[in-house]
Amino acid sequence: MAVTSPDQSAGRQTQPIATKRAWTWYRLVEGMTPYLLIGPLLILIGVFIYWPLIYSSYLSFYDWNFVRPDKTFVGWDNFTRLPDDPRFIRALRGTLFYTVTLVPLQVFLPLGLALLLWPIRKSRAQTSYRIMLFSPTIIAYSVAAVMWLWIFNPLQGILNKALAEFGAERVNWLSDRNTAIWAIIIVATWKTLGFHMLLYLAALEGVPKDYVEAASLDGASNWQIMRSIRFPLITPTFFFVLVTTVISVNDDVFGAINVLTDGGPFDSTTNVIYYLYQQGFQFFQIGAASAVAVLVFAATSLLTWVQFRFIERHVHYG
Amino acid sequence: MASASTMVESHRHRNAARGNRALIHAVVVLICAFTIFPFLWMLSTSFKQAGEVFTQDLRLLPHDPTLQNFPDAFGYFPVAQWFWNSFGIASITTAGKLLISVPAAFAFARLSFKGDKVLFAMVLATMIVPGIVTVVPNYILVSNLNWMNTWAGVIIPSLAGTAFFVFLLRQNVMTLPQDLIDAARIDGASTFKVLTQIVVPNIKPAIAVVVILSFLGMWNQYLWPLLILNDFEAKTLATGMQFFTANAESAQMWGPMMATAAIATLPPLFLYALAQRQIIDTFVTSGLKG
Repeated sequence: MAVTSPDQSAGRQTQPIATKRAWTWYRLVEGMTPYLLIGPLLILIGVFIYWPLIYSSYLSFYDWNFVRPDKTFVGWDNFTRLPDDPRFIRALRGTLFYTVTLVPLQVFLPLGLALLLWPIRKSRAQTSYRIMLFSPTIIAYSVAAVMWLWIFNPLQGILNKALAEFGAERVNWLSDRNTAIWAIIIVATWKTLGFHMLLYLAALEGVPKDYVEAASLDGASNWQIMRSIRFPLITPTFFFVLVTTVISVNDDVFGAINVLTDGGPFDSTTNVIYYLYQQGFQFFQIGAASAVAVLVFAATSLLTWVQFRFIERHVHYG
Repeated sequence: MASASTMVESHRHRNAARGNRALIHAVVVLICAFTIFPFLWMLSTSFKQAGEVFTQDLRLLPHDPTLQNFPDAFGYFPVAQWFWNSFGIASITTAGKLLISVPAAFAFARLSFKGDKVLFAMVLATMIVPGIVTVVPNYILVSNLNWMNTWAGVIIPSLAGTAFFVFLLRQNVMTLPQDLIDAARIDGASTFKVLTQIVVPNIKPAIAVVVILSFLGMWNQYLWPLLILNDFEAKTLATGMQFFTANAESAQMWGPMMATAAIATLPPLFLYALAQRQIIDTFVTSGLKG
């Protein structure tokens, strides 16, 4: 605006030039606007996500403890030493265990529950069911863990008291290396059950009614409709839940591990994510923690890529 | 004749269906009991006096209920301060995330500029980076900036985690009719004006959902504030509760501990009750079909 005013006062003949200048100015501002709009976002992800990825890779080649002024270059040592660390091996085993137990529990169990709720979707109790089933999803993992800590308490917890009613022996849920991981698995299953179920229910509701009507006119039974029409059409949701569960399950249990067991007893409830946290912030082995970070990132990227490739090829989109 | 037998048949069918339904309801109620019990047990304990906390029976309703655990909790630990920290951090981060993600979502949905596709892909790619991977460098950065034990140390790095919201809002902006924007353009509105006067008022429901999800996410955030907030007074509710767990063996502690847990769960449950439909719809439509 300021650019145009002197020209405008100069008279009629200069007006085309003024308009042209105003136009250039306008174009300049308009041309920059998109970058101004996305600028803050790009700066933030650059500084707090992309730069840390690069810096982690750098740190993974050094030996450092947060405090020493200089870092020692150690090449690939942080990576090659990992297989020799029994704690890392236990963390790998834990990661695998969480994955093979929690993926079925968080993917198939909610699916079963959704199929169970489907025939009674129009019942008046449905809203209350959904609220009760979904509630665990929206609270903090750490607070959920505190609630369960009280239930699992060996001497006074309600779970052991209930077991005692049936004549069972007291179980030291969180301090026995055979049961501690199951306690965390129970909490994690409890936490996602309702959310995944709602995703499935919504997908079932999204199946076009004509398909179902056409099939039932042809005499298909409810079970046949479920198997041949509804289920194939909700496979995208099924794979979405599968992918996100495989990728995030070991990340998600962090809060529960931290509050309930701190990775113990004897590293029986730890996983790679928790190992990274302990290396970095309990033992200050920054190089080792960074090496694990690089590996976790590589594994996550690979998993994401493989699963999306697989989904694109094998899933029927309705 | 035929119709009579059909009627009998359908009657029998209906009875069988009704029996099935009763069975389904029974199973679902059992599962609901499993998901809701920890909440009920927490609430129950939070209203019990120390003498009743350790009773042998399943006593969901305290015989002699008390509110004393709440002031006790505030007395043992700075629970009020933690609540204020949780609330402040969640609110400011949510406002910040909106200020960042709404303009970006608009630009990616409606403007074409050099590098737009690559930049959008870079934004989306941040969604697959697990939080734990960036924790060490960000910790070093925050400590070098002297932001340890401050709200800024929690809030500013968290602002980077907005890719999902950008994606969600962009989906929404794309559904607005082009005519709406063209009309404003013809009237001479600048891009900025289109954003503030046309786009924002028309995507209010999506913005509301972002506010709720972001607030929930930040209220529940654990790992990052656990690392940044070490001072007793600086903790949030989700991270401060560990002080209770360190003293978890005495009867005096369980009541106040569950009272604090109840305080920590109420805002999320309240938000959820307020916007149940929107939260679920958003997750379903944007998260999946996009």
